[in-house]
Amino acid sequence: MVPAEYYLLLSAAMFCIGLFGILTRRNALIFLMSVELMLNAANINLVAFSYQWGNLTGQVFSLFTMALAAAEVAIGIGIILVLYRNFADIDVTKPTTMRW
Amino acid sequence: MIPLQTQSTLPDWAALAPTLLLGLTALALLLVDSIDPDDDSPGLLAGVATLGSVLAMVVTGWYLVAGTGMPRTGGAIELFNGQLVVDGMSLFFTFIFASVTALVSVASYDYLADRAHQAEYYALVLLAATGMTLMASANGLATAFVALELSSLPSYGLVAFLKNNRGSVEAGLKYFLIGAVSSSVLVYGISLVYATTGVMKLPAIATALGGGVAGQGTLGVLGVGILMVAGGFAFKTASVPFHFWAPEAYEGAPAPISGFLSSASKAAGFVLAFRVFVTAFPLEVVAGTLDWTLAFTVLALVTMTLGNFAAATQENVKRMLAYSSIGHAGYALIGIAIVTGTANQGYALGASMLHLFVYGFMNTGAFLFVALVEYWGVGRTFEDYNGLAKQAPVACFAMTIFLFSLAGLPIGGGALSKWALLSATASAATLSAYLLAAALIVNSALSLFYYSRVVKAMWIEEPAGDFEVSSYPTGLYAAVVGAAIVTFLLLPAFGVVSGTAFDAAAALF
Repeated sequence: MVPAEYYLLLSAAMFCIGLFGILTRRNALIFLMSVELMLNAANINLVAFSYQWGNLTGQVFSLFTMALAAAEVAIGIGIILVLYRNFADIDVTKPTTMRW
Repeated sequence: MIPLQTQSTLPDWAALAPTLLLGLTALALLLVDSIDPDDDSPGLLAGVATLGSVLAMVVTGWYLVAGTGMPRTGGAIELFNGQLVVDGMSLFFTFIFASVTALVSVASYDYLADRAHQAEYYALVLLAATGMTLMASANGLATAFVALELSSLPSYGLVAFLKNNRGSVEAGLKYFLIGAVSSSVLVYGISLVYATTGVMKLPAIATALGGGVAGQGTLGVLGVGILMVAGGFAFKTASVPFHFWAPEAYEGAPAPISGFLSSASKAAGFVLAFRVFVTAFPLEVVAGTLDWTLAFTVLALVTMTLGNFAAATQENVKRMLAYSSIGHAGYALIGIAIVTGTANQGYALGASMLHLFVYGFMNTGAFLFVALVEYWGVGRTFEDYNGLAKQAPVACFAMTIFLFSLAGLPIGGGALSKWALLSATASAATLSAYLLAAALIVNSALSLFYYSRVVKAMWIEEPAGDFEVSSYPTGLYAAVVGAAIVTFLLLPAFGVVSGTAFDAAAALF
């Protein structure tokens, strides 16, 4: 059996890759993909520790997370579409009509 | 008090009636729209939305008076195998959400006049309100996450509702991006808490942690998990470090939505944070891992200072209100920051609940006044407000009540809720509590400066141009004046609300 720490390391690495993508990439669609990586990092934890603890709570919750991630992407794509229509670009650093 | 309604007279699920009412109203709105999509009488949609939210408010008020879920009628009502819980605190916050929704629905009638997709707008507002009431009742990390998303996803769409307006789209994008990141941080935090405890329900987590499940090697994982969960809630409450979205989202969004998000959505984040941290991570259990009151003390200090100082430098009234809303999140954080062994815990938490209650009315009212000004087509800066009181004295008088109440002057309930926070810090009597009290006083004094700039512009300055108020929209006026009356009445009637708040908060411990 693979020790639990390895799963934690894998999920932490995935989370950090997602975070890195969010901080460095400017394309809104890549941003969505990076968020997906972060959410799925949590899913790895949930499924691995569901097995570890011997209950199904984590696995069921990971299904909920996937459904919510899909809903989030649906809203996000809609917002990115109107972004493209208004700014003719999906670069997240372009919209700067408001500054303090 | 006579128990009008107890667990024995109505079935348990009836305790969720406010949530069900809000959700069914959202579906009814879509149904009304699908019967006649080309109908251009927005009165029906606004009427249905207002009726549904007022009904939810009345039912919640009735439950609060009757003591549903309070210790005096048999304690909290658990539903769905303990995933949801209805108690004094959840009903108290549901009352805030329902009344803010009612105010926003009434005001949107005029604000949305001649716009397309009105049914979707009202349905999304009601769905977001449903999610918030579920956040108030969530008793497990899984339900908490699903409820939080149910309130967040409609909000993203609502902020970007003016889809041909660059500001609104930009605001929606920024709100969505930061919301997506913070919800993945939250869910990762939940997965780490699950990794160390193996359970999701809040009381079970406390039991597992108290039983010493967390070995030495997993304490760090648990600590990181709790911090990430706190970060996810900070997004909802617009607190540091996830506050960046707030100024943009509030400035770009349609003004009634700014009011909705900055009062109801913020309160929803707080009620979830209160319940999760008090029930699942009680301090006596996790103090060895992570003293979260220290984290919240730092967050409260930074949030209120940053919010107020940034607000003082603004030239745009809506953006000033946005930053002041961050400052108020800092005030409300005081309650959870001083929930320590020495303080009267119920009193501390109750003071924060009271501040959020009063804030729900005065802040929504202030944003609805901005909506009224946008409706007239007046500009957005302080100078554009010059001489407005000559044209619209009633609305400007209401705005003056909101602003002075926000600053903490005894013209509305804001003074008493700040006083309750101060006396809670005094009863805690620790160094950090005194620091928080000092920060609260200094920041309130500073906030008086920038709030009174608006008042001065409205009442004293001479109008710059030859601006003429052409119409007096009924819905917006009704909402603004209604919110002002409640804000003012909370001054003499504060005792009625505060008794409920302190009872509800004390029942948590």
